[in-house]
Amino acid sequence: MDKQVHLRDAAKLVNDRDTIALGGNVLHRSPLAFIRELIRQNKSKLHIVKTAGAHDVDLLCAVGAVDTVSAGFISYETKYGLATHYRNAVQAGKVKANEHACYTVISALRGAQMNVPFMPVHGLKYGDLLSMNAYFVVVEDPFGGEPVTLVKSIVPDVAVIHVQACDRAGNAWIEGPKFEDVLMSRAAKKVILTTEQIVPENRTKQKREQIDIPGFLVDAIVEVPKGASPGGCYPKYDIDEASLKHFITLTDETAIIDYIASFEKIDYRSKGERAAW
Amino acid sequence: MVKKIRASDMMTCAISRLLEDGETVFHGVSSQMPMVAMLLAKKLHAPNLTRLNIPGGVNPANIAGATYSSAGADLLASADAYFPLEEIFDLSMRGKLDVAFLGGIQFDMNGNVNASVIGDYHKPKVRLPGGAGSAVLIPTAKKAIIWRTKHDKRTFVEQVDFVTTRGNLWKIVTPLCIFEFRHGKLHLDSIHPTSSFEEVQENTGFELLYDEIKYTEAPTHKELATLRKIDPHDIRSNEF
Repeated sequence: MDKQVHLRDAAKLVNDRDTIALGGNVLHRSPLAFIRELIRQNKSKLHIVKTAGAHDVDLLCAVGAVDTVSAGFISYETKYGLATHYRNAVQAGKVKANEHACYTVISALRGAQMNVPFMPVHGLKYGDLLSMNAYFVVVEDPFGGEPVTLVKSIVPDVAVIHVQACDRAGNAWIEGPKFEDVLMSRAAKKVILTTEQIVPENRTKQKREQIDIPGFLVDAIVEVPKGASPGGCYPKYDIDEASLKHFITLTDETAIIDYIASFEKIDYRSKGERAAW
Repeated sequence: MVKKIRASDMMTCAISRLLEDGETVFHGVSSQMPMVAMLLAKKLHAPNLTRLNIPGGVNPANIAGATYSSAGADLLASADAYFPLEEIFDLSMRGKLDVAFLGGIQFDMNGNVNASVIGDYHKPKVRLPGGAGSAVLIPTAKKAIIWRTKHDKRTFVEQVDFVTTRGNLWKIVTPLCIFEFRHGKLHLDSIHPTSSFEEVQENTGFELLYDEIKYTEAPTHKELATLRKIDPHDIRSNEF
């Protein structure tokens, strides 16, 4: 089954108020072309789920597309500094920051993967994260051991994952670190892949044992070379330093919309048609 | 007082010496200094150190490419094996992670760590990046080491604004000194040769506890030469 669609149509699968799990980690292999398309389509009140986010979450917060962020860490790391738009949105009370301990995001997704309402999580024993967040509850161990912390499962409506290659049916492999992407593809109700390249099925068949996400789990695929830019996508390209540095200087929403528009050519390079080979 | 030692070199060497041969040690995101310190330890006194990171690269041979991130694919590209983040967490939960490196913005005498917010949690004055794995790793790793490149009264406070996690800290390394957490309190462990008791006290928001005044050993020529080799782009200084 050919699941290739245009970026526009893939983004239409996301509804306002959806819970979206984003693949990648900080500036690495984040589905940024898809994020930009969500913004072009004025999506709003999104709930973003990720262990550690950066430009993806910052960009969505900059244009008021976000209601809640469930994550362990949101920042560009040391060199590119803090996620200013995310911070401002949380500080202004526009975005709810549901702070997790990274592992609790993983546990919440594991709960979704197994279709249980919560997961016991060892290690989270002390502190204000436990008392301030309704998604953590400490209960007695029904089998008589120590008290156990539970984290409420997070069932993403959509997982959006950028991969290096997949075939038309969505059989995909990830080169380099996979981060939490494989788990997300199992936990979410719908899976959308953006891919650097669509390859013939005889190639994915040769790599069947290395397929990280089998096509039957995938709802739509979009071919977007440079779809993780200005973040990096190993081993194809590293971050676009000039673009990130420029973005960091932008403060008002119009300038940010222009910045997003400047990627249109790259993001729409593939028309969602069958490539000729 | 020795003035010509750079704080980043002092801290990196001090952190490196806290690691023992044979240990399994993890650093997370935004953690270039501990990443360099881990490789320094491996090169000098801990050849059997097992080094883990978010992208899952077990013992990356080369960290010079990690110029803007300590969570990138480059750390896997020169590694021995793949062991990703979720498995590292599971490992720590089973009690098999020896050392975890964690950050934070505010610390108090009772060993509380804040990496979350300044002000109210739900409507903060300042939203910080978040504690990443701290809240599950500090309680479960055998030793938790915190490093912070700022040492002032806003960092070391009487009481933190928010307790992201607490307890089971082992050491906190700053540009001025090393604290040790024992019997439920932070104790001054050693003062760097670039600083003084007075300077540490002036920049700490609570009365210093200590058994004796000790000084951290200055970086050796061998340590500095090795640092230049393994970290040619000086990423250990990125937080300064």
